[in-house]
Amino acid sequence: MPETTSLAPNPSGVAAARAGRERTLKAEHLKGLFNRYKILALVIAIALIWALFTHLTDGDFLTARNLSNLLRQMAITGMLASGMVFVIISGEIDLSVGSLLGLLGGISAILDVQFHLPLWLNIPIVLIAGALVGAFNGYWVSYLRVPSFIVTLAGLLAFRGILLGITGGVTIAPVSNGLIAVAQSYLPDVAGYALGVLVFGVLAFSTLRSRNKRAEHGLAVPALGLDLARLAVAAVVIFGFFALLDAYRGVPTPVLIVLVLLGAFTVMARRTVFGRRIYAVGGNLEATRLSGVNVQMVKLMVFALMGAMAALAGIATTARLAAGSPSAGSLQELDAIASCIIGGTSMRGGAGTVFGALIGALIMATLDNGMSMLGVDTYWQMIVKGFILLMAVWLDVATSTKR
Amino acid sequence: MAEFLLEMRGITKSFSGVKALDGIDLRVRSGECVGLCGENGAGKSTMMKVLSAVYPHGTWGGTILWDGAELKAASVRETEAAGIVIIHQELMLIPQLSVAENIFLGREPRTAGGLIDFDRMFAEAAKLLGELRMGHINVVQPVSFYAGGVQQLIEIAKALSKNARLLILDEPTSSLTKNETAILLRLVKDLKARGTACVYISHKLEEIEEIADTVTVIRDGAFVGEAPMAQITTGDIIRMMVGRDMSNLFPREEHPIGEVVFEAIGITCLDAENRERRRVDNVSFTLREGEILGVAGLVGAGRTEMVSALFGAYPGPHSGEIRLRGKPIRVRSPREAVRQGICMVPEDRKAHGIVPGLGVGYNITLSVLDEYAPAGLIDEEKEFSTIGAAIRRLRIKTATPVLPISNLSGGNQQKAVISKMLEARPRVLILDEPTRGVDVGAKYEIYKLMFTLVKTGMSIIMVSSELPEVLGISDRVLVIGEGQLRGDFINDDTLTQERILTAAITPRTPAAAAAA
Repeated sequence: MPETTSLAPNPSGVAAARAGRERTLKAEHLKGLFNRYKILALVIAIALIWALFTHLTDGDFLTARNLSNLLRQMAITGMLASGMVFVIISGEIDLSVGSLLGLLGGISAILDVQFHLPLWLNIPIVLIAGALVGAFNGYWVSYLRVPSFIVTLAGLLAFRGILLGITGGVTIAPVSNGLIAVAQSYLPDVAGYALGVLVFGVLAFSTLRSRNKRAEHGLAVPALGLDLARLAVAAVVIFGFFALLDAYRGVPTPVLIVLVLLGAFTVMARRTVFGRRIYAVGGNLEATRLSGVNVQMVKLMVFALMGAMAALAGIATTARLAAGSPSAGSLQELDAIASCIIGGTSMRGGAGTVFGALIGALIMATLDNGMSMLGVDTYWQMIVKGFILLMAVWLDVATSTKR
Repeated sequence: MAEFLLEMRGITKSFSGVKALDGIDLRVRSGECVGLCGENGAGKSTMMKVLSAVYPHGTWGGTILWDGAELKAASVRETEAAGIVIIHQELMLIPQLSVAENIFLGREPRTAGGLIDFDRMFAEAAKLLGELRMGHINVVQPVSFYAGGVQQLIEIAKALSKNARLLILDEPTSSLTKNETAILLRLVKDLKARGTACVYISHKLEEIEEIADTVTVIRDGAFVGEAPMAQITTGDIIRMMVGRDMSNLFPREEHPIGEVVFEAIGITCLDAENRERRRVDNVSFTLREGEILGVAGLVGAGRTEMVSALFGAYPGPHSGEIRLRGKPIRVRSPREAVRQGICMVPEDRKAHGIVPGLGVGYNITLSVLDEYAPAGLIDEEKEFSTIGAAIRRLRIKTATPVLPISNLSGGNQQKAVISKMLEARPRVLILDEPTRGVDVGAKYEIYKLMFTLVKTGMSIIMVSSELPEVLGISDRVLVIGEGQLRGDFINDDTLTQERILTAAITPRTPAAAAAA
């Protein structure tokens, strides 16, 4: 038998390796912190940007009127982003939503102007049409296995083409007052405050309920003081928010819609089978399929949901412009995607929140609004927004622990 | 000149404290073919990665003498320059490029203007192939035009064009048909005649027997022996490969075995890309209630493909009938399989088992989440009480049930994946390599669990490459070799690792097929 040589480790090499490992651990710890508090980081970013604009505009930025406008501006992108976030979490992309928004907004305008359809029929018809078109996209992606980038790029071209065809390239006007109200009405003061109370009540209830649940199942319960402090902060933010809006004209209807979406979709993401499966599909499609989940149907439904959100945004756009415009929604898909990404949704799929996506939309709207107030040229606005998007994704990649 | 072209002495290599290689020797003379044999996981591939400097000099112990001088290569580029070329199991050709472009990839002949000199490249490639008796290959065709076997030959030609003096072939025939294998073996013989040395790694001992001059056997990362092929038989090689003690790592428990519950009849799987090739060839077997059926065989024999077909997850064309309690059932997707009561824990835990970002608990309930949401919203109370019970039952070590599963150790991840499939309450549970990458303690607990499960009447199919595990746990053992069923043994005292390995590598003769 040949003899066995075993080499003693080189001591200086071992020391160097240990120092290297400690450095890596520190870096990983920082990355972990950033990842965990990504949303908080975003909120701080917004606060800083607002402070900057307030300073630069001598306080004009931070008026009730301007902030109310700002929120109305972000509402349409927010509607799209709250659908888009699930598309991206499931590991796909949808480039067709801008054109789809235009098409469905146009259909809504035609139903209103030419057919005088009442609102209670108009809105459901357009929403269902949106969901069907979205499901069509989803069918191509999940059952016919064409990459979503291609399917929805085709949609981006085709839907815009259909819109130009059915409108003949001209604006459809005048839209009825009922439809206009969808984007241009406000919820009066009392109702606004009541809403604030309701939101806070739900938040407080769910916090307390979650504490009990965690205790029951032997999970670590955060200190009561911490939770109470959180609720106190939430109370200040919520009442501040509603007080601010009431100081101008009340809660704008589109903002109300976005708030409802935020609540409904957050519950969907956390507490429904469908929501859980979207994250699972995006996290590891194969493992989810091998667990006996119908992953193709999950993807199809995600696209259908996105279509319905495009319909909602389309109706809101028509209402806001008081007309069906053949160019409505151009490049809106990019704003929606950028909002999701800035809001911490991972392009790799499996991670992201509706709240984050809406914060992202708020950041985009803030940049538009603030720079316009400062009279910054449009070209500079585009450059700045592009840069911010690039930085957001770079931060996501640089702090990613999945290597 | 030194007696040996290559001499590796006392090679040691550890991965985070675990010794993968513990003093292995390998010697190759010029123009000699050395067969390197060992069981799955014995350390053959690690050894070759040391040699080709995939693991650079300094990350392993021992010495390598090349042509009499010590070799201290820091990269694959350096070992290739020295004349050591490795051909991996998976081909490294670019399918869209032509044969000639692949051969000269990275060192294309240039014209004076810096453009690729295609005329010269095609001419040189054709000359090279002609010398290797591969003149029938058209160097202008894209590589994808040719079948896997020819591609393997092209890969070898590419290696030789780099002036290889030692060619390492790692399981070169695992994806080839019989004819293609014969052509490859003839080529290796030609090379020997030309003075090129070769290290041939294969599970197929008849190939080793045909072309190797010397055989080196390693086991569990240790050197076992070296002998001229002329002096030994394949039986000797098998004994050297296996010869380890069986310790009582297996908590065997008596359990009753009932009637046949599951039958697989004529399972055949074709390769998704090369339909000529049968990954699984007409395999039939039965499974009884409360039985643990071990499926043994060498890596690449088609075991995973077979169980994937039973679970509706085989990606290529396949056929065969499955019966559960005498009734034929259709299993076209994993979803249908789970509904019918057939569940599988896949081999590749990371790619197919876990959803890394989801919590441990959410992974566990993934397959049965519907049951917790009768009214739309998930009843978290009910869900978490199930999760808690599962975690306690399998003793999954996790800080909280909502901790992302990727933070757990391999053994605990595996237990969570098994829990996930148990929540679906299967009648037949397929475990594909259930203890791969799992530490000893978790292994023991998984075995314990398996016995607990069969006592409740569940039936288990366990695919495993570790023969001691197969012998220690199974009631019956199926042996699969090259896609065929080559043995169906009751696991009594007469069944040994030698018998299983012999069955795995012995091609089925018509007589043996009739007897089985």
